[in-house]
Amino acid sequence: MSRTAAPPAAPPAPRRPAAGAQSRRRAWSPWRWSPAARLAAVFLAPAILLYLVFVLVPLVQSVWLSLHEWDGVNPVKTFVGLANYADLVGDRIFRTSVRNTLIWVGLGTAASLALSLGLALLAWGAGRGFAVFRTLYFMPQVLPTVVVGIVWGWIYHPSFGALNRILDAVGLDGLQRGWLGEPDIAVYAILAASVWASIGLSFVIFSAALNNVSAELLDAAKVDGANAVQRFRHVIVPQLSHAVTLVTSLLLIHNFQAFDMVWVMTRGGPQNSTQLIATYTYQNAFADNQVGYGAALSVVLTVICLIVTVVFVRLRERTSEV
Amino acid sequence: MAVPTLTGPPADGRLTPSPPGKPRRGGWTALRYVGLIGAALVFVGPFVWIWISSLRTSADIGRDPFGLPTELNWDNYVNAFVTGRFGAYLGNTFLYVAFVVPLVLLLASMAAYALTLVRTRITGLLFVLILLGVMVPFQSIMIPQYYVVRDLGLLGSYWGIIVPSLALGLPFGIFLMRAFFLTLPAELRDAARVDGASELRVFWHVMLPLARPGILSLAVFQFMFTWNAFLIPLLYGQHENLRPVASGIMFFVGEYNTDRAAIAAAVTLTCLPVIITYLFLQRYFIAGMTAGALK
Repeated sequence: MSRTAAPPAAPPAPRRPAAGAQSRRRAWSPWRWSPAARLAAVFLAPAILLYLVFVLVPLVQSVWLSLHEWDGVNPVKTFVGLANYADLVGDRIFRTSVRNTLIWVGLGTAASLALSLGLALLAWGAGRGFAVFRTLYFMPQVLPTVVVGIVWGWIYHPSFGALNRILDAVGLDGLQRGWLGEPDIAVYAILAASVWASIGLSFVIFSAALNNVSAELLDAAKVDGANAVQRFRHVIVPQLSHAVTLVTSLLLIHNFQAFDMVWVMTRGGPQNSTQLIATYTYQNAFADNQVGYGAALSVVLTVICLIVTVVFVRLRERTSEV
Repeated sequence: MAVPTLTGPPADGRLTPSPPGKPRRGGWTALRYVGLIGAALVFVGPFVWIWISSLRTSADIGRDPFGLPTELNWDNYVNAFVTGRFGAYLGNTFLYVAFVVPLVLLLASMAAYALTLVRTRITGLLFVLILLGVMVPFQSIMIPQYYVVRDLGLLGSYWGIIVPSLALGLPFGIFLMRAFFLTLPAELRDAARVDGASELRVFWHVMLPLARPGILSLAVFQFMFTWNAFLIPLLYGQHENLRPVASGIMFFVGEYNTDRAAIAAAVTLTCLPVIITYLFLQRYFIAGMTAGALK
């Protein structure tokens, strides 16, 4: 199409960026750029400037800050080399926070993924009722995390919380706990609230993807005698692969960003048992005035996040090739 | 785009992976609805509980947390507005949404379009850098960012919350909009150019309107990010006049932690505007959320 349309209007516009070698030879002067390149430069400038000042430079600065001891007020920052990182090794709270962050990212992502896919399969083709269920399931997703934290704080309350009352009512009072007060279970209790709040979006994406699953392929598999499990594994799952990637990426990002829920429900307690790297970073940098140490923590968070991202991308590439 | 098909209920009930053979079908359907309704109760129940509690008195709630109100008690709401300053908090939240969402939409669309318009090594590198911003958590950059905001003299002002929110919304916004612009055929752009449209007109009158599903999607995400933002206002808006509802309610809970009815009213006030918006604009929420899933 464009090939036939292009020749008449030869000179001004269609200098296609495909000619990379040619553009490199041109003198580097904005006034000789094509109109498209000039527009691109103007369009990119404000976003790149903001991104540079508020995201990229701070990302680099956090590495630099992590090599210093600083209280955040004193004009002089003392260079201490890798001392902050050496301190991390012996810090028990740091180890807890790494473990908790991995629990959130691993267990939290897996639980949301499995529950939302299960629910989407259950609701698949539920006819008219589907729209109502979708509306209700998605509702927690639109609410502030802070509010979810407060509401679940009520649910977990030891004496009048809904959970203990329900356990009592069904005769399971042996399972009653001070859900947010016991170091061994508090982190899972908070994570459950977080999973509850994050199922809606995954559910909606999976439902949309299921609606696009080819009915002919399913019928063909049924005719060929495939049972429900085989149809799910070999017909539905391959067609959901794009949605699985999308949902997993969103959940990973969401779980690495976790902060609000923990901060509202326990502030990292009891006895720092629910600290995430993110909350421990905040506590060091903004409550305890250990800015350098907080920066070292944030660098660890960045590194773990990048490792998980690379592993995830590699895994996706491998499975999509098969 | 296939978006409209998402908003309606599934076209055909027979798409269900129900086991073959008619006899078992009735039991399976009943079981399925038990599961679906149970899940609905789990998702909505807690909020209904809080809404009911907001119309009772704290003494009442202490006696029986699950009781129904004997008489409607609106004092909790008056309390939240007068002593809890919820009017001001809500106003602030509207202000942040009104500035941040349109600006993210505009700047992210422009930058994303630029990245698809010129495909060189430089724009390729820029895109990789922007992807970095999508993945890295806010807590990884918040410490130096705090001092950047401070040194720019923005700490404790409306701009101190708006500008960082805008900058943090851009990576995801650019990522999403770029994906949408890439789905548009380049022939459309060329055709408009042949007709003599300037590059700016091609963007504004041809490409941007075609990217509407993407803009809608980003608008929904960014609205939720901004409405729910907690840590940014906590860090940069250190005065109570600047608090949005999401962080304001934290302070309210801190002050009234024994007055359960007052907290319930505050929670309800924080939820209602979003829930009403969601119920009215549901189609757009769902379409916006899922638009990205189909590419």
